[in-house]
Amino acid sequence: MSKYEHHWTMIVDLDKCTGCQACVIACQAENNIPVVGEDEIRKGRGMQWLRIERYWEGEYPNIRARFIPLMCQQCENAPCEPVCPVFATYHSEVDGINVQVYNRCIGTRYCANNCPYIARMFNWFDPQFPEPLNEQLNPDVTVRQRGIMEKCTFCIQRIRRARETAEAEGRSIRDGEVQPACGQACPTNAIIFGDLNDPNSQVSRLAANRRGFRLLEELGTEPAVIYLKGGESNVI
Amino acid sequence: MSSYELSRREFLKLSGLGATAALISGCTANLQKTVWMEPYVTPPEETLPGEDFWFASTCRMCPAGCGIVVRTSNGRARKIEGNASHPLNQGKLCARGQAGLQLLYHPDRLTQVLKRTGERGSKQWGTTSWEQIVDEIAAELANMSSERVAFLTGRLPDYQAMLVSRFMDGLGGEKPIVYDAQSVLDGYVLLQAATQAMFDDKRLPVFDIAQADVVFGFGANFLETWLSPVAYGLAYGAMRSQSGIRGTMVSFEPRMSMTAANSDRWIPVPAGYEGLVALALGKIIVDERLGHDGVADKYRALYKKADVGAIAEQSGISVEQLRKLAHLFATAHHPIAVPGGVLAGQLNGLDAIKAVTALNLIVGHTGDHGAIFLSPAPPSRDLMQFSPSSFSEMINLIERMKAGKVDVLFVLGANPVYEIPEVLGFVDGLAKVKRVISFAVIPDETTAVSDIVLPAHTYLETWGYELPNPGKQQLIVSAQQPIVRPLYDTRDPGDVLLALADKLGGQVARRLPWPNLVTFIQTRLTSLQILSGNITANDAETFWIHWLQSGGWWSQDTVWESPNPTESFLNTPLQVNEPTFDGDAEKFPLQLLPVASVAFGDGRHASLPWLQEMPDPTTTVSWDTWVEINPQTAASLDIQDSDIVKIRSPYGEIEAVAYLYPGIHPNVIAVPVGQGHTELGRWAQNRGANVWRILSPQTEPETGQLAWAATRVKVEATTKRRLLPRLESNIGVDRAREKGHLPG
Repeated sequence: MSKYEHHWTMIVDLDKCTGCQACVIACQAENNIPVVGEDEIRKGRGMQWLRIERYWEGEYPNIRARFIPLMCQQCENAPCEPVCPVFATYHSEVDGINVQVYNRCIGTRYCANNCPYIARMFNWFDPQFPEPLNEQLNPDVTVRQRGIMEKCTFCIQRIRRARETAEAEGRSIRDGEVQPACGQACPTNAIIFGDLNDPNSQVSRLAANRRGFRLLEELGTEPAVIYLKGGESNVI
Repeated sequence: MSSYELSRREFLKLSGLGATAALISGCTANLQKTVWMEPYVTPPEETLPGEDFWFASTCRMCPAGCGIVVRTSNGRARKIEGNASHPLNQGKLCARGQAGLQLLYHPDRLTQVLKRTGERGSKQWGTTSWEQIVDEIAAELANMSSERVAFLTGRLPDYQAMLVSRFMDGLGGEKPIVYDAQSVLDGYVLLQAATQAMFDDKRLPVFDIAQADVVFGFGANFLETWLSPVAYGLAYGAMRSQSGIRGTMVSFEPRMSMTAANSDRWIPVPAGYEGLVALALGKIIVDERLGHDGVADKYRALYKKADVGAIAEQSGISVEQLRKLAHLFATAHHPIAVPGGVLAGQLNGLDAIKAVTALNLIVGHTGDHGAIFLSPAPPSRDLMQFSPSSFSEMINLIERMKAGKVDVLFVLGANPVYEIPEVLGFVDGLAKVKRVISFAVIPDETTAVSDIVLPAHTYLETWGYELPNPGKQQLIVSAQQPIVRPLYDTRDPGDVLLALADKLGGQVARRLPWPNLVTFIQTRLTSLQILSGNITANDAETFWIHWLQSGGWWSQDTVWESPNPTESFLNTPLQVNEPTFDGDAEKFPLQLLPVASVAFGDGRHASLPWLQEMPDPTTTVSWDTWVEINPQTAASLDIQDSDIVKIRSPYGEIEAVAYLYPGIHPNVIAVPVGQGHTELGRWAQNRGANVWRILSPQTEPETGQLAWAATRVKVEATTKRRLLPRLESNIGVDRAREKGHLPG
C-alpha cells in the first residue's frame, strides 16, 4: 500500500499494442492538444502527449517492427519536479501522480530538460483553433498558452469527475470507473488503467505479470506506467 | 465596449432576454418542418448548463458502422467515444472515428447551396435557397429522358444507398454507379464475388480472429483500414491474450503493413503471388493429408493444377518453408486464413481470394469459433444492405459522358475527379455533361467542377441506420441520430431526394413516398420489432426511442452460420495466374503498390488537422507523401532518405519524398494514398501527391474491378530534397547525403 489515497497506474501491454494511433487522437481530442503543423513537426516539436515510437528489429527479410506508446510515466521520483523554480510541477498527495500547474509555469523548460522520457511538451506558440473548430474543445480542460509546459495528466479531469460522483454517492471509486481517453479508445485493450492500492483491481493483477517492466528502470524514477513485454513466437 | 458599464444585474437581465429570444426564433415556421430534429438536441428542461449529455449514434468516418456515443455540453458536440454496448466495437474507436468532430467543426465547410456563375471550374458561385434549387432540378429532370441522368455514389450508408437506388428506379434511369477508393482498396467487389462463387452468398464472410490460434493473413491489413478495423482490432487483442495459448500470426504480403508488423512473422511475397502461396499451402495440406482425419481428401479436386515446386520458385519461398507453414496451419486447433484488400489490387485478385478462403475449408473449419462464418442476413427487404457495382460500370459511364449521352450527373459520397486513374479521362467526360450536381460537406475536387453544389449534413447532424457488413454473429441495425442542431443551411442528401421525388410526382414519388427521412427510417425498422433483441417494445414509438437510446438494435441470439461451398466450386480446380503488370519491365522496373492510409483511409479525411498530424504507424511520417523503397533498391538508384524522387508510370508522373523502408520487397515501392488534394480545405490543399493519377486502368477480367496495384513504375532521383515531417528523428538524414544543411 502506498502513501497515496490512490495509486493510479497504467499498464501497457506491448503484445496487444498494434501502433494504430487511436490513443494518440483520443488523447489529443480529450486534452485540447493543438496541431502544430509540418514545420514544427520537422523540428521535433509535436505536441501530442502520447506518442507511439516504432523500432525496427532485424533486416530485410527477417524484420519486424515494435511499437511502444510513450506518455508521461508519472514517476514516483520524478526528475522534473525538483528542478522547477516555481513549483509548477509537483507530486499530488492524493493521486500519487505528477501534476503540472499551468498558471504557475513560467516556461523555464528545466523540467523538460530533465525528463528522461521526453514526455513534456512546450507551447512555442499560442494554439490555433480557427472558428468553429474551437467548439471541439473539452470544457473540462484548460487551453494552454504560449510559454507553458504541458504533459500527460492521466486524464486528471476524468479522475476528478469519478471522485466527485463517488463522493456524492457515498462510496469509493470502483475499479474501471476511471478510464483515460487513450485506454478507452484502444481497440485491442492494450492500455489498462486503475488503482494499484486496490489489490483486486485489474492493474494490480496485471502488475504482477512476469512480462512486466518499467522504462529506464535503472534510473530509479519509479514510473507509474508498467509495460508488459511484447510476445515472441518461435513456431516459425 | 463603450464607456457604458454593464453591471452584473444588467448582464443577467440581458442574457435572460437573449435566451428567450433564441427560444422564440427556434420555433419559426421554417424549423417546424424539421420538427424531427427537436426532441433530441434540446436538453430536457430540468438540466443544468454545463452538464454533459451523451447521444448514441453510428460512426461514418469509414463504412464499418461502429457504434459511438457523443458527449455534448451546451448543445455542442465535444468528444466522440465508442458505444460500450454496441456489439461491433464494444466501446472502442479508431483515430478516424475520434476525428469526426473536426469534420463537423471544419472551418471550410460548405454552408449554403452554391450555383455556378462563372466558367466551370472558376469557382465563382452564387447562392440560392433550397426550395428554389429543388424546383430547378426537378424541372430539369421532368423534361428529360431518364437515360440521360446518371447517379454516381461512393459506398453510402445503407439508408442513403436505398434512397438513391429507389430514386433512380423511379426515374426509370440506370442503376446508380458506385465507385469510391475506400471500397476499391478494401477489395469489396472481389470479396463479394468470391463468396458468391464459392458459397452462393453475397454476405461478406467474418473472420473470428479472436478465438483463432493460428492466423494467416494474405494482404489483409485488418488492423488498419480493411473493412472493420476496430472490430478486428478487438479480436486481435483477444487473440493475443487467450488464457494459456497465445495466438500466432503470419502475414504474407509484399510490403510490411502495420498489421504485418504485428505478426509473429512477415513473409515478403512478391506482389501478386499471395494467392499462389495459398494454393501451394493447400496443395501440401491435401497431399500430406494434414489436419482433421479425412477432411482434406474431400478437397483433392481443388488442387489438381497446383504445382508446389513451381510456386516455390516464383515466390522465393522454399518448398521446405512452405511445408513448415502448411503444417503449422493444418495442425492448429483453430487456424484461420484471411484474404485481404491488397489481393484485390492485382489482375489475379479474385482467384487469389478464392485460394486463400479455400484454406479454411480444407482444414474443416468453418462456421465455428475461431473460424470463418457468415453474419445473419437482414430479416426483410426493407433493410437491404448496400451492394457495390463494378468498375466496368464506371468506365461505361465515362464513355457515355464522353459521347455526350449524359445530361445530368449526380455525385454523392464520392470524389471521382480525385480518385480515378487520370488516363480514363473522367474530367474530359465531365466537361460534356450539361449539369453536374454534387453533394458534399467540404468542397472537393469534384465540387470545384460542378454546376450545383448541395451542402450536406455531416453524420453528426442527421438520421440514418446501418447494417454493418461484415458484422458479427448477431444481426446489428445500428442507429444514427443528430447529435447537434445543423450548424449551417445544409441538408441530408436523402431528404433532398425525398423533396425532389415529391416535386416530380409520378413513379418517383411512388418509389419514395415518405415525407421525410425519419418516417422513412421508421418504416424500415418495423420488421425488427417482433424479433428478440436488445429492445422489447410493444409499439413503434417505444421501439424507436429505445433504438435511438441504445444506438441500435441487435439480436439476442448468436448464430455461427457456416458458409457451404457449392458443388461447382468444389469440382473446379483452383487456378491462380501469375500476376501481370501494366508497363514495360525494362522501362519501368518497379511495381507500384498504393497503400490505404491509416490516417485518411482513401484520402477523404485529409481535410482534418488531427489526422494530418497523426504519424503514420510504420514510418511515423505526417503531413506529406512519401514513397517507401527497400534500402537495397534505393542504394542501386542512388536515393537517400528525404530525396525527392519522380515516380513515373506509363500514365504520368508524381513526385514524392523517399523513405528507406526496410519492410518492403525490393521490386516493389509503396505510396500512401490520400494526399495531393487541390481542394478539400486549408489543411489538405496543395500538399503531397495523388497516386491515383498515375495508375493503370486495367481491370480484373471476371468482375471488371480496377486492378489498382498492377502498374509498373520507374523511380528517378531528382536533385531536390525535403526533410519529412516525422516523429522518428531526422538526425543522420542530413549526414547521409553529405550535402550540408537542408532547407526547412
